[in-house]
Amino acid sequence: MAASKVQAFWNHPAGPKTIHFWAPTFKWGISIANIADFSKPPETLSYPQQLAVTCTGLIWSRYSMVITPKNWNLFSVNVAMAGTGLYQLSRKITHDYSSDTETAVAKE
Amino acid sequence: MASFRAFLNSPVGPKTTHFWGPVANWGFVAAGLADMNKPPEMISGNMTAAMCVYSALFMRFAWMVQPRNYLLLACHVSNETVQLYQLSRWARGQGYLAPKKDEAATE
Repeated sequence: MAASKVQAFWNHPAGPKTIHFWAPTFKWGISIANIADFSKPPETLSYPQQLAVTCTGLIWSRYSMVITPKNWNLFSVNVAMAGTGLYQLSRKITHDYSSDTETAVAKE
Repeated sequence: MASFRAFLNSPVGPKTTHFWGPVANWGFVAAGLADMNKPPEMISGNMTAAMCVYSALFMRFAWMVQPRNYLLLACHVSNETVQLYQLSRWARGQGYLAPKKDEAATE
């Protein structure tokens, strides 16, 4: 019984033999890289990059629910991207605007 | 005018999700270009390497998906280029790549 389910998955047109599986699966790498970067000092974070990660995550989360069929894998990976992006942005903004030292402002 | 109208109504045009998702992904290219002159210490090796694998996979995805999505393909070709360049800047900054002037000096 289990073998046929595994076979069904393995042979699926969007299964692990196809790019339709690996591309969205690998997109998790971006969120994982971002989580690894949670421990980096905020001065090294890039506003443009984190904004791009956040906006992509938000837009794709919505659109993965609008396409046919709904793609929960794509939805979840983009929710994660938006989440990690927002967290990194909040770290950097908090760092840049909470301290009133000239060095924090001059770095911009 | 007729071709513009054809674009507006196309199955991968601006009235469809197949258009706006890829447009959002151009943000990565814009971010990479904006960061090109930043000092290499500020580049995240993790994120840039992840982007290189991600864009390589999505170039293939954009080609194979139905309908074929040239906008997504163009976006990921551009992103791959920008991210590989940033990765090389990061690697050079970390000391992984030998500086070219040393090789020339030993000739």
